[in-house]
Amino acid sequence: MNSSIIGQDWFQNTLLSNQPEIEKSKVLAVNNIQAKARNQLKHLVMPNRKQETWRYTDLNSLYEKMFKLNDRKTIDAIDVDEWIFPEQESYRLVMVNGRFNPQLSSLEGLSDRIIISAFSQLSAELQFDAARILQTINSFESDAFAQMNRSLFSDGFYIHVPKNTWIEKPIEIAYVNHSSDDQVLSQPSSLIILENDAQAKVVERYMSLDEAEYFFNGTSDIVLKKNAHLKHYRIQQESHNAYHLSRVALKQKNGSIYKNVNLALGGCWSRMDIQTAFEGQQASCDLQGVYTVRDQQYNDIHIDVKHQQPNCTSQEKFRGIIHGKGRAVFDGRILVSKDAQKTDAQLSNKNLLLVDDAEINTKPQLEIYADDVKCSHGTTVGKINPEHMFYLRARGIPEDQAYRMLCLGFAEQVLEAIEDKPIQNYIHGLLSNLL
Amino acid sequence: MLSIKDLHVSVEGKDILKGLNLEVKPGEVHAIMGPNGSGKSTMAHILAGRDGYELIKGSILYQDQDLFDLSVEERAQRGIFLAMQYPVELPGVNNMTFLKESMNSIRRVNGQDELDAVAFMKLVKEKAALVELPEKLLKRDVNSGFSGGEKKRNEILQMALLEPKLGILDETDSGLDIDALRVVANGVNALRSPQRSMIVVTHYQRLLDYIKPDVVHVLANGRIVRSGGHSLALELEEKGYGWILEEDAA
Amino acid sequence: MSATTETIEQLIDHGYVAGFVTNIDAETFEPGLDEDVIRRISLIKREPEWMTQLRIQAYQDWLNMVPPDWAHLKIPAIDFQTISYYSAPKKKGDGPKSLDEIDPEILDTYNKLGIPLEEQKALAGIAVDAVFDSVSVATTFREKLSEAGVIFCSMSEALQEHPDLVRKYFASVVPHKDNFFAALNAAVFSDGTFVYIPPNVRCPMELSTYFRINESNTGQFERTLIIADEGSYVSYLEGCTAPQRDENQLHAAVVELVALGDATIKYSTVQNWYPGDEQGRGGIYNFVTKRGDCRGDRAHISWTQVETGSAITWKYPSCILRGNDSVGEFYSVAVTKGLQQADTGTKMIHMGRNTRSTVVSKGISAGKAHNTYRGLVRIARRAEHARNHTQCDSLLIGDRCGAHTYPYIEVKNPSADVEHEATTSKISEDQLFYCQQRGLDEEAAISMIVNGFCKEVLKELPMEFAVEARKLLNVTLEGAVG
Repeated sequence: MNSSIIGQDWFQNTLLSNQPEIEKSKVLAVNNIQAKARNQLKHLVMPNRKQETWRYTDLNSLYEKMFKLNDRKTIDAIDVDEWIFPEQESYRLVMVNGRFNPQLSSLEGLSDRIIISAFSQLSAELQFDAARILQTINSFESDAFAQMNRSLFSDGFYIHVPKNTWIEKPIEIAYVNHSSDDQVLSQPSSLIILENDAQAKVVERYMSLDEAEYFFNGTSDIVLKKNAHLKHYRIQQESHNAYHLSRVALKQKNGSIYKNVNLALGGCWSRMDIQTAFEGQQASCDLQGVYTVRDQQYNDIHIDVKHQQPNCTSQEKFRGIIHGKGRAVFDGRILVSKDAQKTDAQLSNKNLLLVDDAEINTKPQLEIYADDVKCSHGTTVGKINPEHMFYLRARGIPEDQAYRMLCLGFAEQVLEAIEDKPIQNYIHGLLSNLL
Repeated sequence: MLSIKDLHVSVEGKDILKGLNLEVKPGEVHAIMGPNGSGKSTMAHILAGRDGYELIKGSILYQDQDLFDLSVEERAQRGIFLAMQYPVELPGVNNMTFLKESMNSIRRVNGQDELDAVAFMKLVKEKAALVELPEKLLKRDVNSGFSGGEKKRNEILQMALLEPKLGILDETDSGLDIDALRVVANGVNALRSPQRSMIVVTHYQRLLDYIKPDVVHVLANGRIVRSGGHSLALELEEKGYGWILEEDAA
Repeated sequence: MSATTETIEQLIDHGYVAGFVTNIDAETFEPGLDEDVIRRISLIKREPEWMTQLRIQAYQDWLNMVPPDWAHLKIPAIDFQTISYYSAPKKKGDGPKSLDEIDPEILDTYNKLGIPLEEQKALAGIAVDAVFDSVSVATTFREKLSEAGVIFCSMSEALQEHPDLVRKYFASVVPHKDNFFAALNAAVFSDGTFVYIPPNVRCPMELSTYFRINESNTGQFERTLIIADEGSYVSYLEGCTAPQRDENQLHAAVVELVALGDATIKYSTVQNWYPGDEQGRGGIYNFVTKRGDCRGDRAHISWTQVETGSAITWKYPSCILRGNDSVGEFYSVAVTKGLQQADTGTKMIHMGRNTRSTVVSKGISAGKAHNTYRGLVRIARRAEHARNHTQCDSLLIGDRCGAHTYPYIEVKNPSADVEHEATTSKISEDQLFYCQQRGLDEEAAISMIVNGFCKEVLKELPMEFAVEARKLLNVTLEGAVG
């Protein structure tokens, strides 16, 4: 059977079986989001490999499974023992199997001008505000998975930083999943808004407590107003059985700066989509990342950077280390519209392919409609240079250590740009354990 | 040769030149010195015809003709040569081809026969030796992968080939070490002649130890605030620009 | 700044110099396509039964296929029933045995295009097969070539005289089911060029085909098959022009190259089909399937193309690197201006060990044109130590055009080494000023920069062709002086 029909069934079943779990919200705007998405889904062709954006994605293995929203209203007594920042020096938000966990979260010392909260904890008035904004942004309109996220909208996080406010402490968000009776469908939505001249640092971590099999289907919407500055780290370190699909939609006003680092390490099936759009001039967007692939793993990064305004800068820099018999996909597009003169956009994707029977598909694209631009993309696929290997070994370094050093050195081209030492150290640790 | 009268020029609404006057006679070498941002490079670019500058008032006569009536290439064809501070790279364009095209287009306009390949080669090699430019650089793309010093020598080589009537050197000394400076200056000196005038724009006195100017001007706040002999340059080196600016303000 | 843009736009707004029509008596089919038309083409050409069957099969399959829609092109719907599928100059008797029998109007046409067919006047060292609408009208230097054992003739003749060779290789590189236009071509192809180079022969001269569409409302569906047997070498050139007409004309060719062990084929194209007028009226739809198969070890296939014409170009000359140590190359300059659209690139399919490929693509876009590079580099699982280097550069002139780059890279072997680089830029004001300050006028400056931009590709063309290509680029972008 062809995958578009399988997809059709899968979406329908997932929606029907989970519908009852969705409580009717007291806030009309939230109901509207759900209803609108359900309607939108009716008009969409379900993702299948004939569509260019899903060309290299193995959807059938996902469509074979059924996932259920976590119905337990009680709070799991779990323990997250691995935090990047000490409790006093950060704000923490925790979601377990798709439900907010206030016990594990901590927002001590947070000024009441700033909102850092789960949607479910917001006042009706703020829920209404947030839902309205989400409706206006209307990101990933034609992506069925995003619309499924909205149709079954349950919870997520809302971060709102007012004008001129700099949040010094990082906000560390943990999306934790663990085994449950059903295969859990975890689908948070978050919304981050930085008003003019505001600054913040957000770390989102996707993790598993055991070898749980579940489907994480999350969406983050980010709006940066004039001269706002957001550092955004995303670390996907899930179990070998996890299905991970996450999306970021970014909108940037004049002079705003977005710096983003993505680590895609875990899961048996993982795809990250990032879409950015400039809505003002002189803004800059920096997307970087490292992805790894071990045996039987599929890891996919999709980036879509839209330059619709003049004088903006974007950089994408991704490094892939394929060290097992799996498959990696990188699809990065830079679109420069007619009016986006003086655009400076650079994309670089390099891959280390270390084993037989692995596969990498990379597709960097430039679509340019303006003439006064500086755009380039570069991509490479290669192995470890045997001369480098020889050099290290000739200096007495054992082969496996030399191998690890060279792989880490390759990832270092991205990691060195991380300005937050604790994050850099943490990621280093993750990668050296992995390779 | 060149007569600039009460020249006022602005860039994007900002006044850069505010009443510049300058007279250059055939055979003279004039040095234009001045602090950063005083308008020295602007003046050099305007003489060559670079656009992006707005003429507010004033005039420039070159060989009794209004310079503003002439396009960039017409000025070049009539003997104005600008050695640039940052020579442009032309990827894929062979240096030799470029020199030949340039030279022949100027010869054509001036009613001279175009040089054939053999005569041209001979001439280029001779002139390249003058500026100690390795012959292999002639075969490369224009300025691509040239060091800073090589780019400047390539500029002087072009000047030697094109034999301009008015040579303008825009901060040709910037970024050069002492050996390269000497080579460039020797090349320039070899081109001095009673028919050829030169304007040497520089921030430092150093270059003028090698290229002895007839007149030194200090350009500040968009005007020539003082003119004198070589000794003025030495005085500037010793005391900096501050005192002149103060005197000018007083 | 605006002055610069204006001048450039005036410069690129030039006339098409090959746009004249030749008045000759032609035998032209009524427009329309059905099995009967195909049988008639086959009958006229006195083809063997297997070829007729192949055509019919291709036609049946074509009926169930749809035109490709994935390219970055806006293609108006084509009504295939309004096209005439066969047109040939009326022959005196049984086909031209010598130049004397060719209609002088046709000889004159080729003379006007700078391709004299009289051997004494011809460019030294180049043999020409001249294809006029649907048929080959003359092939020069045949005797000299046959001394070396080289077969160089029209496809129709090859089917008569070398049926076994044709049958062995025909459609073996591009099967008729490959794509919509390849299927159409297999069904209705009228003529084309056949080349066979025997083992260990270095073809003593450059071979070339010159395609000319003359008749209105006709499509041109030629078929080229080049076989380089073991250890042989051939360099082949292809040129194309068409008259200026208000309606669009379809050109759907298929080119198949087979290089056996240690053989080399260099295939160069200078394509200058009529591009249509400023309003986008008329022009050739150039939907071409070109593919080379490196069937033996150390085989080498090199594509070089300079594409300045056609209203729409859809073409991806490709290499299948089957033999170990085989080499594939693709060098391309594609210029689009006015309302032209081009979606072109290559596929390098690495299957053998130590296979190498190089892709250099230079796209120049002006006016409201869109220029797309689309390329696939695939390293199969067994292709140990395969290497690819791709360089794609785009140059933009004016602010209403577009340049797009879509490389697909699929690697299944860890020993591969694949590099892709792309840049997009415009001719900078600084570069123009620098050249003008050295006395070059704007036209000369642009010409020099554009030729510099294309240099890596132009140097791959045989000398005579490089000169022509350079001229064509200058005419296309700078307009004739005066």
